[in-house]
Amino acid sequence: LITGDEYRASLRDGRAVWLDGARVPDVTADPLLVKSIDWVAATYDRYAGKENPMFSLPRSQAELREQIDFMLENDRTAATTAGCMALTTLGGDALRSYTARVVKNDLRVAAAVDDTAKPVSVMPNKDGVTVSGGKQHVVGAAVVHDLLVLAGDVAVAVPVGSPGVRVIAHTPAPRADDDRHFPYSRSHTISEAIVVFDEVQVSGDRVFQDATAYADTLTIWERARAVADQADRAELILGLAQTISEMNGIETVSHVRDKLSAIAVYAKMCRAGWESALANARVTDGGMVCPDDSFLYATKAYGGHLYSEMTHYLHDVAGGAVITAPTIADLDNPEIGDALRKYMRTMDGVSGEDRTRIFHIIRDLFADTYGGWDKVTNQVVGGGMHHQRMATLDSYDLGPVKARARAAAGIL
Amino acid sequence: VPMMTGEQYRASLIDGRKCYLDGELIKDPGEHPLLRTAVDSVAGTYDRFYDPDPAAFHPMYTIPKSREDMDQRIAALGKSDITAGTTAACMALVEVAPELGKLRPEYRERIYEFFEWCKEKDVRCSEAITDAKGHRKKRPSQQDDPDAYVRVVSRERDGIVLRGAKLHITGAPLVHEQVVLPTKSMKPGEEQYAVACSVPSNAEGLKIVNTTNAPRGGEDQRHFPISHRTNMPEGLLVFDDVFVPNERVFLDGETSHAASLAHALGLWERSNAVAYSGSSADRLVGLAALLAEMNGAADRTDIRDLLSEMAIFATMCRAGWEAAMANAVTNEDGTLSPASLYISASKFYNAELHGKMVDILHDIAGTLLVEAPSMADYDNEEIGDDIREHLAGDSGWSAQDRLKLLHYVRDLTADTYGGWIAVTESLAGGGQYAQRLVTLRHFDLNNAKDLARKAVGL
Repeated sequence: LITGDEYRASLRDGRAVWLDGARVPDVTADPLLVKSIDWVAATYDRYAGKENPMFSLPRSQAELREQIDFMLENDRTAATTAGCMALTTLGGDALRSYTARVVKNDLRVAAAVDDTAKPVSVMPNKDGVTVSGGKQHVVGAAVVHDLLVLAGDVAVAVPVGSPGVRVIAHTPAPRADDDRHFPYSRSHTISEAIVVFDEVQVSGDRVFQDATAYADTLTIWERARAVADQADRAELILGLAQTISEMNGIETVSHVRDKLSAIAVYAKMCRAGWESALANARVTDGGMVCPDDSFLYATKAYGGHLYSEMTHYLHDVAGGAVITAPTIADLDNPEIGDALRKYMRTMDGVSGEDRTRIFHIIRDLFADTYGGWDKVTNQVVGGGMHHQRMATLDSYDLGPVKARARAAAGIL
Repeated sequence: VPMMTGEQYRASLIDGRKCYLDGELIKDPGEHPLLRTAVDSVAGTYDRFYDPDPAAFHPMYTIPKSREDMDQRIAALGKSDITAGTTAACMALVEVAPELGKLRPEYRERIYEFFEWCKEKDVRCSEAITDAKGHRKKRPSQQDDPDAYVRVVSRERDGIVLRGAKLHITGAPLVHEQVVLPTKSMKPGEEQYAVACSVPSNAEGLKIVNTTNAPRGGEDQRHFPISHRTNMPEGLLVFDDVFVPNERVFLDGETSHAASLAHALGLWERSNAVAYSGSSADRLVGLAALLAEMNGAADRTDIRDLLSEMAIFATMCRAGWEAAMANAVTNEDGTLSPASLYISASKFYNAELHGKMVDILHDIAGTLLVEAPSMADYDNEEIGDDIREHLAGDSGWSAQDRLKLLHYVRDLTADTYGGWIAVTESLAGGGQYAQRLVTLRHFDLNNAKDLARKAVGL
């Protein structure tokens, strides 16, 4: 299995990527895309010479928990690549042969599921197929090796460097020259893209038939990761709200405790939803253990519905310095640094610099470019809050609850 | 003295003020890439309202005496940058001038002289109210650092010397005067903290450390259709033993009146926010309706449910301002003030539901909201046709119009400027808890109890 540097070198494959209206000649040299690449490369380095867990399918609840923990600790392409591996449970020799190559060459794969206004079509020819059309919301398109493209009952693994593939990338990475006051997004962003397929020729060994049911399985780990991450994020909101309240000296004020308690309930319920999805894990026909979908949908809907309210409380207890705290460069400036440390400090044990850094992480995650991107993508991926509620209703076993209602009313 | 033009305003900023951004000293804010557009917007206000008549002045210096005055003032501020709003709020000092005059007659005279000076010189002022505060539960006099609240460290025959810091000062590096006011009420023994005065931005010992919501790395302004022109820096003012002459000192040591100044300005600040909340909410409804049309979903039942929720929100925001003006009060000098009860209740309501309204907007918009290609992508010869083809839906919207709408909504609600809006809507003019307290204080609870007693038959 390859190293981070070998991964970087593998991306110099002639891929056609655009960002901010300009062609990117080398994605590994682009100052914005390199933030995504460094994140992926760190995962490579962490598992260089070892088996990467994303290539394994969980066969028990314990393994499922380990798999999710792994995804939360590593870059986002781990979840999409693991989704590709999950497809092997649906059968097909061609797919198994392909995923074996993915494992052998330690590749990263992105899921290309959502069509643009010009849906993808796949036309057979003597050398394989020709892929045409477009996909949007392709997570990691510019920094992975292959795109697993779904088109009706066919799936095609398209190398990103193929002639005719055009990746129109976007990234929520910070654009400040000195990005030290973006403590999370400076190292944890993954670029997304609209991908255009302009009569892309793909060999037959990369074409998989009977793929109608692929979408649900391909995105299973992204879905599960999002709900697990929501529970982590809710606890982070509580941790930040409590920490900044203590730093401000207001953690015992009644209206602050009201807000902290509301966040605590939210964090517990998000955690409970995720734990229930794990506790009620199902075993697929292929023997893979997955979180329960009805709990995933319900928890996602619940978390999304209250997310803005929780961040509103966080802003409220933190105060205006969320958006006005000085930068690290300001602290470094000898003309003003000492004064800033003096006035950002609140009491013994709370240094001005530590408090400033807490404001930076709150802003970065909940009141700036990355925060906006994170909030919107979590809320609307998969159709938005209405669709999440509908999915919850559709996956709810209504038979027993109707029977209970009838029994309560004395109706036989 | 005639009003300033935009060019004269730009020149006036090069006065030796010590402004910092991202750790660097800025010599000319008008030339700095992250401050330039804010300077442009203020200069634009100057040019828009310029009148060569020596007696002319910006409407923000009109102290409203009637509903008509108020409507004109609100309309004028709506066509101006934020510093006109902060300046207008500072002019609310005249509202408390009669009261301060009873303490010391010179306070009243100085306030009116300062008001006339600002009006004549056509300057901009900041509201420098929020202190560093240290430990929030402790009084200013109980802090381990006595400078946690701005204070008078020495008094001289012709003035006072200030030390401390003021935070979250909107427009600080772009105004001429920093109007310093106590952030809260003070008690006997805290006389050094009961200080109100005005300090020129270039005063010796004053440093202004800034942040900004201007787009970073955004050379292509089309990607930030709002924030490239309406951004504004926020300053952290460090007063390192700054001398303030007596004629600019409006309160010095009278703890009984420390809070009245901030209350007066706070009401005006909140009033400005509430006055525009109806039109801001209408804009959100309009954006949601356009997004629904763009996505071909305008007739869906669930979308119409969401739009109706937003329409109720917008209507209630407007109703709050109307009620505040219908119940406005006039002080002994004839100044008209919107009713605090309705202003605080409306401010709370608007901030409390703002996030929910933005959620609806995002739900209707979909993921392209934060992933749409830039207008530079659209212009690129190699991929422009791809974007036109892949983003044009069957709802009759062109890819270009879709991109414009998506970038506008992202900039307003899901990017740097959107984050700034979310935080300031909640915290400017006092946080949510403060709005609750003020509302309860002004609510006629006895009348409510009487109604309840009668209803119950007690």
